[in-house]
Amino acid sequence: MFKNSICFVSFFFLFLFSLINFFFFLFFMIYNYVIFLEWELISFSSMSLVMSILLDWMSLLFMMFVLLISSVVIYYSKSYMSSEMNLNRFIMLVLLFVFSMVLLIISPNIISILLGWDGLGLVSYCLVIYYQNIKSYNAGMLTALSNRIGDVFILMVIFWMMNYGSWNYVFYMDFMKNDYVMELMSIMIIIAAMTKSAQIPFSAWLPAAMAAPTPVSALVHSSTLVTAGVYLLIRFNVLLLDKFFLKILLLLSGLTMFMAGISANYEFDLKKIIALSTLSQLGLMMSILSMGMAELAFFHLLTHAMFKALLFMCAGVIIHMMNDIQDIRFMGGISNFIPYTSLYMNISNMALCGIPFLAGFYSKDLILDMVMMKNLNFFVFFLYFISTGLTMFYSFRLSMYLMINDFNLLSVYNLYDEDLVMLKSMFVLMMMSIFSGSMLMWFIFSYPYVIYLPINLKLMVIYVSLFGMLMGYMISSMEIYLMNKFSYIYNLSSFLCLMWFMPNLSTYGLNYYFLNMGQMMLKKIDMGWSEFYSGQGMFMIMKKYTIFYNFFQMNNNFNIYLFSFVLWMIIYLMILMVM
Amino acid sequence: MANVPFLGLKTHSQKVCSLYKRVLRNLEAFYDRRNVYRYQAVLMRARFDKNAKETDMRKAVELLRQGEEELFSQIHPLPKKFATSPGGVAYERVVQSPDWVLDYWHPLEKAQYPEYFKKREQRKKEFMAMWEKEYGKPDPKDQHH
Repeated sequence: MFKNSICFVSFFFLFLFSLINFFFFLFFMIYNYVIFLEWELISFSSMSLVMSILLDWMSLLFMMFVLLISSVVIYYSKSYMSSEMNLNRFIMLVLLFVFSMVLLIISPNIISILLGWDGLGLVSYCLVIYYQNIKSYNAGMLTALSNRIGDVFILMVIFWMMNYGSWNYVFYMDFMKNDYVMELMSIMIIIAAMTKSAQIPFSAWLPAAMAAPTPVSALVHSSTLVTAGVYLLIRFNVLLLDKFFLKILLLLSGLTMFMAGISANYEFDLKKIIALSTLSQLGLMMSILSMGMAELAFFHLLTHAMFKALLFMCAGVIIHMMNDIQDIRFMGGISNFIPYTSLYMNISNMALCGIPFLAGFYSKDLILDMVMMKNLNFFVFFLYFISTGLTMFYSFRLSMYLMINDFNLLSVYNLYDEDLVMLKSMFVLMMMSIFSGSMLMWFIFSYPYVIYLPINLKLMVIYVSLFGMLMGYMISSMEIYLMNKFSYIYNLSSFLCLMWFMPNLSTYGLNYYFLNMGQMMLKKIDMGWSEFYSGQGMFMIMKKYTIFYNFFQMNNNFNIYLFSFVLWMIIYLMILMVM
Repeated sequence: MANVPFLGLKTHSQKVCSLYKRVLRNLEAFYDRRNVYRYQAVLMRARFDKNAKETDMRKAVELLRQGEEELFSQIHPLPKKFATSPGGVAYERVVQSPDWVLDYWHPLEKAQYPEYFKKREQRKKEFMAMWEKEYGKPDPKDQHH
């Protein structure tokens, strides 16, 4: 009884807060209203520790989305985690996560940002290792250590900011821009955001974090936690303009988008495909942010949160139905058995691809148009459009594998939706992923962007999408007479398949050498030479000499007296003889 | 398998069978449609059958080595695993602790569930009685375990 009630109570209050936030957002938006609350904790030698809260339309809107997604995810967990013994612990962890996220969203103060940021990292670690098997432990370590790098950078920003005497960064943006040394801070912030949003050197942890239960993946690793980095950069975006490092960020995030798109096409794990598509969209957000268009990044962040959470929830239903099997090679033809989930999945997939008038269309199309208006170089243009095509490619491949191909696990089977709870919770997000794009468009962009493009450039998105769709169809329909392209270019395929060996380069590789070095130092130095020369060695020398002296002192005094008598007599005789 | 002289020592035919099975699993990972997989599996079976009657042992060992090498160079980076088997995503996700763990609970912990443990002690006694009735009491000199 209590098991169900904690889910319902949490759902109810989170949903209520979400609605309240929505109305506040409308109010703040219309009247262009900002509330800045400050509570001074302590002040010493011109340094003030201030707890502050910033409520403007951006934080309220983001909070509304986070609370909405977390409420439906908790409602969904009631059914998904129904066989879990410690459901209360699970829900508490999710609530703790939501709390950290909200703290991060509303704080204009770098210290409280760190609190929220660290809370996110810690709770996400606890949630990744929730299923306590070896795979989860490894993934959890990878996640925690990768995010730790970002935490350290934020800590360094805090130390650096002591020069200003306060940590309310919003007041110092313009000063920081003028000071060359203080610009270091912006680089640190960018690196921190890159770890949280899993951009290229740090992107190995996001697919690994899929060891978490699926509701967690829906809430944490698709819509909220990973967008914390993007949100931080949106908040700092005044500081970031005209930086050389921002150009590197554009390159890295573009490459992230491309790499994730390619890897998603080679991946067979259902959740990892969706995680890689999240990574691709995060690359899109980061890259548009690094061109200085923060509102567009924020817009895409919100719409993406909706349909990606929905996609993960659909994946959860499918995984439950398949008895924990996540490999899409086992699946197929599920649309005949779970039509509603397939419908939701198709809608969210289409929203992800940017099919017109669904959520993803409004943000993605606008972003691509703005990219074309910017007249960037051909390489960046190539990355954007190939990645857009790749989105279509892997989405279509996923749909083909799940819904159109034959079922591949058993010969006699009966698949079904388990209950209405999951379907109901998905319904909310389904409506949001249809309407939120146009809704937010009306709210946020009250004036239209003027876009002026040649017709073929404007239709480029459609061309690459159609091409991607064709490729997705071709790669997923396997015939007897076709040759295996994977083994034909085996080395290249495995390079692309394993995320450009990113896990090996950035995490396993580094860990391996440093752990190896630690092991060597333990063996050779701590337990070897230093022991030989200090502890054990000194003891051995002492022991040896003690035994030697003991020989003279204790055992045979008589012999020694006799021996020394004879010795002295010989010396005496020799002296006599010489004289 | 009672007459295996040394554990871990495999005969040549065992090694070939093991290779064959791994090759089939690898093909399964590549060709995920069943009919395509069967076609490829038949082709692979023909390759194995071609050399099945090889009597020259040196040649057979060389063929086996080549086969292993080919498999290694063609192994799928993301092998198809069942979720609850070793290497799968849900392996050891639900661990059922063995029954004897309950005997090592602290008395205070046991006191939380008095009825269950009372019944458990009773059942243990009954089981001992049943065992002794069927197999007799253990020999006191028999100390090994």
